[in-house]
Formats: sequence, C-alpha cells, structure tokens
Amino acid sequence: MLTLNVNGARHEVQAPDDTPLLYVLRNDLQLIGPQFGCGLAQCGACSVLVDGKEVRSCITTAGSVAGQEIVTLEGLPARWAKQKGLSADEANNTLHPVQRAWIEVQTPQCGFCQNGMMIKATELLESNPNPTLAQIKDAYTNSGPSPNLCRCGTYLAIIEAVQNAATIMAKGR
Amino acid sequence: MATMSETPTTVLGPTLSRRQFIKAGGILVVGFSVAGPEILKADTAKPATFKNSLDPSLGSSWIEIHPDNTVLIRTGKSDFGQGSTFTAYRQIVAEELSVPFEAITTVIAGDTDRTPDGSGAFDFLGHGMPNIRKAAAYTHQALLDLASEKLGVPKDKLSVKDGIVSGGGKSISYGNLVKDQQLKLTIPVKGDLTSIGGLEIEGNPPMKPVSEYTIIGKSYKNSVITSKVRAKETWATDVRLPGMLHARVVHPKTLGSTLVSAGAVDKKKFPNSQIIVKGNLVGVVAPTEWEAIQAAEQVAGATKWTDWKGLPGNAKLYQHLREESDWTSAPVAKGDGNKGNVGTALASAHKKHTATYQLSYMKHAPIGPTMAVADVKSDGTVHIYTHNQNPQSLRGEIAMMLGTTLDLVIVHAYPGPGHYGRSNGGNAGAEDEAVLLSKAVGKPVRVQWMRADDMQWSTQSAAAFSDIQIALDEKGKIAAYQADHYMPAMQDDRPIGAVLAGLPTMSAPEPKPDSVTSTVNGIEDNWVYAPVPNVAELGHGTFQVGQKASPIAVGLRDHSMRTPGQFQQNYPRELAISEAAALAGADAIQFRIDHASEERAIGVLKAVHEASGWDTRPSPRPGAVSTGSSSLRGRGVSLMLRSGTYWAAVCEISVTPSTGAIKVEKYTLAVDPGIVVNPMQLKRQCEGGAVMGISHALFEEMMFNESGIITDDWSSYPIPSMSDIPEIKVVLLHNPKVGAYGGGSEAANALAAPAIAAALHDATGKMMRRLPMKPAYVLAALKA
Repeated sequence: MLTLNVNGARHEVQAPDDTPLLYVLRNDLQLIGPQFGCGLAQCGACSVLVDGKEVRSCITTAGSVAGQEIVTLEGLPARWAKQKGLSADEANNTLHPVQRAWIEVQTPQCGFCQNGMMIKATELLESNPNPTLAQIKDAYTNSGPSPNLCRCGTYLAIIEAVQNAATIMAKGR
Repeated sequence: MATMSETPTTVLGPTLSRRQFIKAGGILVVGFSVAGPEILKADTAKPATFKNSLDPSLGSSWIEIHPDNTVLIRTGKSDFGQGSTFTAYRQIVAEELSVPFEAITTVIAGDTDRTPDGSGAFDFLGHGMPNIRKAAAYTHQALLDLASEKLGVPKDKLSVKDGIVSGGGKSISYGNLVKDQQLKLTIPVKGDLTSIGGLEIEGNPPMKPVSEYTIIGKSYKNSVITSKVRAKETWATDVRLPGMLHARVVHPKTLGSTLVSAGAVDKKKFPNSQIIVKGNLVGVVAPTEWEAIQAAEQVAGATKWTDWKGLPGNAKLYQHLREESDWTSAPVAKGDGNKGNVGTALASAHKKHTATYQLSYMKHAPIGPTMAVADVKSDGTVHIYTHNQNPQSLRGEIAMMLGTTLDLVIVHAYPGPGHYGRSNGGNAGAEDEAVLLSKAVGKPVRVQWMRADDMQWSTQSAAAFSDIQIALDEKGKIAAYQADHYMPAMQDDRPIGAVLAGLPTMSAPEPKPDSVTSTVNGIEDNWVYAPVPNVAELGHGTFQVGQKASPIAVGLRDHSMRTPGQFQQNYPRELAISEAAALAGADAIQFRIDHASEERAIGVLKAVHEASGWDTRPSPRPGAVSTGSSSLRGRGVSLMLRSGTYWAAVCEISVTPSTGAIKVEKYTLAVDPGIVVNPMQLKRQCEGGAVMGISHALFEEMMFNESGIITDDWSSYPIPSMSDIPEIKVVLLHNPKVGAYGGGSEAANALAAPAIAAALHDATGKMMRRLPMKPAYVLAALKA
C-alpha cells in the first residue's frame, strides 16, 4: 500500500513500491496528463512536478515520492489558484497561465509531448518569471535528465507560449 | 479573377426526398439525421461495395443540420495533429453552407462505424476539393430547394447568411427548414472504402465563389488543442475497458528469426501473467501494466530464436542497393514532364554535371510508441481502439487476418502521437497483435509497444539513391536533365503481428503497377522547370531490403513518411540544380527563376529571396574554405510543388570545418497554397515541418547491422532539441485566383535538406551528396 499526495489530495494505492510513478498515475489514479513516451527519461512526455521540480515519472518509482507533493497537468489550475489565493469559484473557472498561453498561441500539433512542455514551463516560470530566449532554450534543453523532445517540431510555438504565459503571470490573474 | 464559380457546374446525381418525421428507438430523428444506423439497416438497400454502417451516398452521413441550427460533420480522416478536421474542414463546410463557424458544434472523425468515407489521414485538402466540401455544397443546394418550396420563392432569388435563407421579403432558418422533416439527400459516391484512398464524392455541385468568402482565410482556433491542454481529451493511450489486460510483445531476436522455444513465465515472481504464442508472435499479458512489462522482460530473456544475418548493414547499404538489388523486375516509371532527347543533349553538353545522391533510412519515430486496445467478443465482433491514419484500411486488414467479415470489425479512432504516414495504409503496429492476444484470452487486451519495439519493429522511410546528369549550354542554361531514382518499395501495409503469427495478409510489395504497395518507384517530384528542353526522370524500384531473404518475410519493411517518395527525389534534384547553377556561375535563386515559367513557382522564389535577405551572387561565396576551426556561413535554396502548393526555402547555416558541425541559423519558407484557409494553423504546420526537415537533414539515420535495426531509443536516433532550432520565418502567399486550397503539412520537412547541403557548399566550396549531414560525414566530405 502506497500513500501518494497528488494534486493536493491523498491517495492510497495498491501497487508495488517499485512501480514507475507514471503507471500509478495513469492506471490507478486515472490522471492522463503524463504520457508514456520512452520509459527511459529521454523525452519528457511523462513529466510531473515533484515538490515543484520537473521529474520524469517513467523512471521514478512511486515508492520514492510517497509523501512528496506531486502535481500533474490536471493539477496546474489548482496550483495557480492556490498561489494567487483565488476563491473556489474563480479557481474552478481558471486555467494555469501556461495552459491559457498554450491555447492562445495554438502550440500543439499532435500534442503528445505537450504535457511535459507545460510542466517544464511551469517549473521555469515559477523560478524565473521573465526568462530570456536563451534561458527558455536552456531550460528545455539542459535543465532536465534529457532535452524535452517534440517530434512535430513545435519548439517555436512553445517559446512563444512561454513568453505569453510570462506576460499573463505578470498580470497576476 | 478566376473563381470557382466560373468552372462549369453541374449537379450530378443528387436527389432529395422527404417524408414526415419518424421515431427511431424512442428518439425523435429530425433534420437530415436520417442516417442513424438502425434506420439505414431497415430502410436502405446499401450498395454491397460500401460495407459501411453509414451509407456514404446519403448526404446526412456527412453533414447533419439540426433544428437548433447546429451542424454536425463526419469525416473518415483522423486528426493527426495538424487539426485540419477541427479548423479547415469546419471553415470549408461553414463557408459552403453560409453558417457561422461556431454553428458546427460536432466533428466526428475516423471511427469506422460513425464516418462515411475512409481514406488515409493525409492530403486533407485533397488538391482543393476534399469530400466534405462537396458534401457541404450538395447539402447547401438541397436546403435551397427546400426553402424555395417552403417560401414559394424561386431558388435563384434566394440568398443565405448565417444560416438564414432569405428572398422575396421572406426568410427562414436552416433549423426551421429541417424541423419535423425526414429528409433524404442522395449524393453520388465512388471508390473502395477500405483502400488507401477511400471513397470519393463525385459530381460538380455549385460552389460558393471565392470572392464571397468570409470564413475561409481567418485564423480560427483548433478546439482539440483546448481539450488536450486541459487534459480533458481521451487519447488512445487512455482507453481502459472493463476486465482489460495489459500486454507486451516479445519480438523476435532479428528481422529473420523464427521461434525455437518460448520462455516460461516465472510464476513465483509474476503469478498473474500469462504467455501467448502464435507462430512467431510471443505475447505476455497481465492484469497490471507493471507486471506485464516485467514478466515480458523475464520471458524475453528465456525465449530462444534462430539467428539470421541477411541484411547489408549501414556500411554496405548503398553498395547493396546499386550492385546487389534487382532493379529489373519492376517497370521503370517515367516522369510526366519527360520530353526531348536527353541522350543527344548530354552528349553535346557545353558543361556537364554528373553526381550520385544518397538518403538514409529514417524512422517515423512518433514521440509515443504505438499502442492499441482490442476487444474480440464471443459473438465474433472485434473492436479496436487506437490512433490510426486509416481506420477503414485497418478494418480490412484485421478482417483478412481473422478470416472474418468486414461488418464484424469496428475501429474506434482516438488522438495519439503523430506518426507521419506510418499507418496511412491501415496499421502502425500493435493493433493486430492486440486483436490476436484478445482473441486468445477472451478479454480486452491493451498492447503497448516500448520505445525499442517502436524503433526496431516498425516500418521505416525507404533509403534511396539517385544518379543525376545535367547538361549546360554555352549560355549557362540547362539543355538536358536526367534523373535515375532508385528506391526499394516504400509502402508495406502488412500488419506485423499477422506476419509473425503466419496469418493471412495482403502480399508484400511486388512489381504490380497501379498499386500503392508496389515495388514500382513512381516519379513523385513534380517537375517545375518547364522551359528545360530535354528531360528524363526515371524511377527504378525493387523489393525491400532483406524481405525475401528473411525466413519470416520481414527484413527492412518500409512505409511512406511525410512527403513520401518526393523527398527522395526532390533532395537530389534540388541539390543538383544548385550545383548546376554553381557550374554556370549563376545565382541559385535567379538560375531557378530563369528555368521556370509557372508564375506561382517564380512567385515563391521571389518571395523567399526578399524575405530571407538573399544577396544575389553565385556559390560558393567568395573566400569559401573547407578547413579551419572558424565558423563559416553559407546559404542555399530549394523549390517544390506538392499537392497543389508551391514551396521555396532558404536555409542559412554556420559550419565549423574542423568539427563538421552544421547549425541552421535561419530558415525562411515561402508558401503559395492557393487559398490560405487558416493562416495561423498553416503557419504552425509549416514551422513544424521546417523543424522536422532540419532533423531529417542533420540528424536522422536508422542504423542497422546484418540482423536488424540497432537504433532503439532517442540516444541512438537523435532528433533536434529546442537549442537546435533556428529563427524560422514563414511567408504565406494567399493566392485566391488559384481557386483551390493546397496542402500545408508535407513538403516543409523535405525542403531543408537540399537547401542546407547547398549552404554547406556555399560556405566551404565542398559538395556533400549524402543524408544525413552528421558531423562525421561532413568531415569526410570536406576532406574529399
């Protein structure tokens, strides 16, 4: 029996400790944001935030993050609402600025990698609210276990979306 | 200005009948929604060839108008990430019907029991005339007929705006026109539902003149992006059925191995796992995904296969292709632009360019490995839940494999990772394996390929080489162009699980003309240099490498990938044209303009010249050197006509001779698709294609040895990361007088390679005629 703290809620999960977190999130908790891309921490499709840091859930055992704060794509709106102290009503009707930006600039093509791209953007913008182009490229290329890979080639749209999200976040709503 | 209204218009075949509303299953069926499957079965004698639960000859199978003025559309084309079904298709239908874009509230795409036409998810705009546009035009005419009758106003006195038909001082909404009516619009359809092309709507219904467009040309957002970003979209990867088991497949040791003995499951460690063996197909199923993964690894280690060494390996690939392959069994294909006497012109050339160009095997490499859920029920029905570019073709392949009838196989289409053509002939891998495992255990089974399965057991984009000869006359003009393109068959649509299990499939590619799965190497690259007097483009085809030698008939299976065949022919052509320009001492863009007559080709060349800030001069640049550790700069250009769209690209690179490392600094694209349907979505498609093009040009090479593919992850098959991305500039040339919409996703991925290679020559004076331009290969070319 594992106890996981995911998107602000405690979950008791019947899974061996060595199960990769990805399979627990997808199969036991029905959280579909993180995707299986490589199982090797080489692409970032499976990324989640663990205590605010981008982590590859495909190689992270569920047991190793028991008790830590895990946030998936599904948890981003609540994370933003909590950070901004929004009312419950407001929180239910909002998206994280990163998600709003991703829609506004029409970032995804197939979209399969974009979970990790949005998780990486959230991690970056929480520590650096106004990143330069070089800092954005560096974050997506060098800050994780591997670069965050997009096969459809949406990198330019991702850069635009990060900049757009930074603008929204600067407005504070 | 030429518009669609000036083309001859006739309404062939469509008839409209009407009955009072009826009840079906307690639900009031109104408007055009006569095509509920239950009604059809009772009411309509379906043509046997259509084999579909929706009758494609009924207008309502394509488009439903509802009493609340909302509209539903259906298309057999699955979305593969470009979003055309959610943006361009809605815009096209809304335009032809004259309803607001937002009125189209539902798009049903791909599912074989809920869509009418099949066909692969490619070429969405179908040379400007997709099925959905004709269906909308026929529906529009039927609505005008109804309104004319209802309002007592002649049809030619009616006009429509925002779904309201007006004329003679009266008006009525579409919703009120169809309310309480049972309408039956019949439209003419031809084709084969489960073929790669699917069905095609015939006839020429009147179309709205381009000059009256108000919806096409605007940047509407893609609704599915919103649901994906919100984590509200159900992907194929998310499908979970009651009682479903997870499976992994233990694929053979080599591409020619047969099973000696399957390992047993270690029941102490994996008590709930089960092994299933069918021929050379070995699967492991378990209630949980983690147990299935671990048990499959354990079984793989205990399973014995025969050895096989029947492939040339990378080092001997081109030698094998040129010297050891049978290029005589398939008829030689000839280009549409062939003319004159090339032999004579080459013999009397003032200057002559002769060279060979080589392209590696490449992987489609979806960012998520392929997967499928199958549910083979005890009554014989088969449900497949997957991400597939041609669900109807998959349906046919599964029915053939099982020896069952088509009506028992239903494919449900969901979003998934783009795989760029791999399943346009029906399968991407995993679907048929899931079916066989589900049938064996009598429960729904989810087969997920691991990264290595996807790299090593999927099809690939075919390797190719070309011999090009160009004769220049005294004035530096091209007097003759000859291309001999050599490529193994590029489309093998046999499902791999069926092959491994020894079950019925279509045949492997063989020399049969007029088949997409043929060894004939058709000329795919449209000739764009019309003034050249002597042209010979010849396509030479052969069998897939290793396939006949493989005891399991596998070897290196190929499949079309973005810009298929045309990439393999356009790269050598465009690089050779740049070489000819250099030989003539001419500027590479001006040289192309001087050899083109089509206004749109010249238009994109001039546009890319201006947008890239191109300085007109011959290549190589003054002072070009091929040694040293300083970074050098160069630029090159390329040109293509594909699916009704003209494309020109300029790539500017930096290269360091001492390391061989190339970096693309700026990539400028000029695109003339005719009518731009959705500028924002087209721009995004172009950007994505451009990045993939850089990847093809600089990074991608499937590595293989004598036994199989050794490329098995993102480390051994690298693609660009964000730091590899240059400044990208996309110039969209809206050209309404063309009167049609050209394609947008393909081509962009093919244009980079010849432009980058020309840029390398511009910077260094050295020509490299091989892809990819990896540093080690660049170093060798610079030293040559």
